[in-house]
Amino acid sequence: MKHREAKGFSLPPASLPPLSFSPCYNLSAMANSPLISLRDLSKHFRTFRRREGIWGGVVNLFHREYQTLKAVDRITFDIEPGEMVGYIGPNGAGKSTTIKMLTGILVPSSGEIRSNGFVPWKQRTEYVRTIGVVFGQRTQLWWDIAVVESFKLLRRIYDVPPRDFAERMDTFNQILGIGDYLHTPVRKLSLGERMRCDLAAALLHNPPILFLDEPTIGLDVVAKDHIRQFLRAINEKYRTTVLLTTHDLDDIEELCRRIMIIDHGRLLYDGPLGLLKQKLLRIKQIKFVLRDKEQVAKLAALSRDGLEIEPVDEMTFRIRFDRSHIVTADLIRQILSSVEVRDLLIEDEPIEEIIKRIYAGLAFDQVTA
Amino acid sequence: MTLRNIGIVYRKELVDSLRDRRTLISMIVVPLLLMPLLTIGLGGVSAILIGQAMEEVPKVMVLGGEDSPKVLAELEALPDVSIVPAKPDYAEEISSKQIRAAVEIPEGFDAKLASGEPMLLKIYMYEGDLKSGFGADRLQKFFRDVRDRAIRERLESRHLPDSLIRPFDIKQQNVAPAEKVGGAILGGLVPYFVILLCLTGAMYPAMDLTAGEKERGTMETLLCSPVSRTHLVLGKFLMVLTASIATAVLSISSMAFSFGVGKRMLLGMARGAADAALQISITAKSVFFVFVMVLPIAVLFSAALLAIALFAKSFKEAQSYISPLMIIVVLPAVAALLPGVELNAALALVPVLNTSLISKEIVAGTYHWKYVALIFASSCVYAAAALAIAVRLFQREDMLFRT
Repeated sequence: MKHREAKGFSLPPASLPPLSFSPCYNLSAMANSPLISLRDLSKHFRTFRRREGIWGGVVNLFHREYQTLKAVDRITFDIEPGEMVGYIGPNGAGKSTTIKMLTGILVPSSGEIRSNGFVPWKQRTEYVRTIGVVFGQRTQLWWDIAVVESFKLLRRIYDVPPRDFAERMDTFNQILGIGDYLHTPVRKLSLGERMRCDLAAALLHNPPILFLDEPTIGLDVVAKDHIRQFLRAINEKYRTTVLLTTHDLDDIEELCRRIMIIDHGRLLYDGPLGLLKQKLLRIKQIKFVLRDKEQVAKLAALSRDGLEIEPVDEMTFRIRFDRSHIVTADLIRQILSSVEVRDLLIEDEPIEEIIKRIYAGLAFDQVTA
Repeated sequence: MTLRNIGIVYRKELVDSLRDRRTLISMIVVPLLLMPLLTIGLGGVSAILIGQAMEEVPKVMVLGGEDSPKVLAELEALPDVSIVPAKPDYAEEISSKQIRAAVEIPEGFDAKLASGEPMLLKIYMYEGDLKSGFGADRLQKFFRDVRDRAIRERLESRHLPDSLIRPFDIKQQNVAPAEKVGGAILGGLVPYFVILLCLTGAMYPAMDLTAGEKERGTMETLLCSPVSRTHLVLGKFLMVLTASIATAVLSISSMAFSFGVGKRMLLGMARGAADAALQISITAKSVFFVFVMVLPIAVLFSAALLAIALFAKSFKEAQSYISPLMIIVVLPAVAALLPGVELNAALALVPVLNTSLISKEIVAGTYHWKYVALIFASSCVYAAAALAIAVRLFQREDMLFRT
């Protein structure tokens, strides 16, 4: 299974075949307005507060206190054709709910939504023929059946003419390398292989818009890279508009020029990635484990301006640094020369931290909402 | 377009279900095995038991009769009972099945028989015990013969004809059709099992196609497809209905088959015993009408199961919702088995119970056409209501995305 993973794409994006893949934007209905436009979009869920303990459980049966959860709270944004937009936020921020409203499977509580000239939840069946959706933790492929059967089913559902179908399958085979396991049942595929098949399935009817909900979640580095290459390729070649949610900042950095940050249902930031990087994504952190306790004393040699060293536990420490001032490679060299290290890990600052700093007012002119 | 979409969903679910072992077992294996097991197995076991009981030479005790060597000698000579020595605790011995029956011969039996003095002869047995009954039967038959012989001798000695004490003979003549005779016995059971299997056959696919789909996380992607939710639920419903009807058809045909074969087999095994165990013959007509009557019930079950299972977040949750339904369905089906529960206009409107009752009548060879029509119509109404509810629930996002 591993060797397939490593095989990757056999063709570089530049040599993609010019196919029946021309974006079929619903131009007549759009007339100069953006491709996707959300106005004060909200989604509220009614949940009930669960009481604790056994007695609480019994009380729950008879009396429920409902509360309204604002999963998405008055979000407004536009997306132009051909954009690749990253939609990030911590778990439960409202990313998936937004995607579900954009794909028409959830009806908004209030606000307006227009995508490719359609109101998704009202004209769902026509609309979804012009979009592709991939949920990272879900699959639209049949679990127990060979992948190709799922493709055939989708062909019938989306009324793809047999010739186009054959042509597209051929392309997917070339750029995603899925030909090797078309006849394998989905449950036997690795996560990376399945994600490629899911991407192909989402693009089978040649949609101009692609929604991706956590497309790289759970994938290893190589598989992530393949998916990103593919997304870049279809965005460049076919001008496919992509909105992807993620909490992997690398996805964003490698794919998107524009980024939106959402937290507690509200849009905190909507703007170019460059600006965000300059102001907020400067912090990197290196976590390292010392070889023995004697090394702890030597840590003092490392401290200088702009370096924060904080202990994680007895032997593990974390250095946070601003990469606009310090080159990561230099710092690693310095660490290795000062102390004996058993293990070392470079990480991004978690999104939660970034959001905290946005709230703390360390940011923007550009904060929407 | 509408039919095409429903067809696509149906095909998808069918292919999917045929790969699910649980569905296959409940849909095909159970009805194919249960019916022969029920008829041949159960019937066979009872035929064997009855046969064994009949073949056993029962031990009987003769109390008294020391002054009547003639009758004692005749008893001793009986080939199908074995006489054991008399003991005072005969009642206990019968209860503990050490002996099967006992007979108390009155004092001076031989002499009184010759002189014509009236007597009372008592046979002791354990009511309800098959083997004790057989033992007592043989004793009774013997003494009846002795009595008949005495009567004939007395009449002869007085030169009187037999008809003096037997002015006329009485015979009960059955007018019910052959299937009616057996219908009462096993006929009640048959529709009960068909209805039950209709439910169990639909259960797994219903849970798999709703709660299972949620659990696997394929519900969202399915909802993203350009198939409307109504078409989705109808496609799924047709699949569940297929499973339910397949189960019903398989169980009815396997039932007809096993009654046919089973009866012949048992007849070979244990002569008259088989008749007692399996007094039933099912005609093609009754099979057809039972099927017609069960059809709307299958629709009702499929739609109801789908609606209930849709409410659940996981397969496990769906199972815990559906088990109570099982009991609700079993109750009216069982109620139809109770003696004295007979069809009337009110009962004809109770879902499941009405079908169970009318099927019982049909298997027994009686067709109350008015009730057949009424019950079919009312079942159809219930089925349509359940289907409408299932379709409505499928439109609600709080049902589809319960968290």
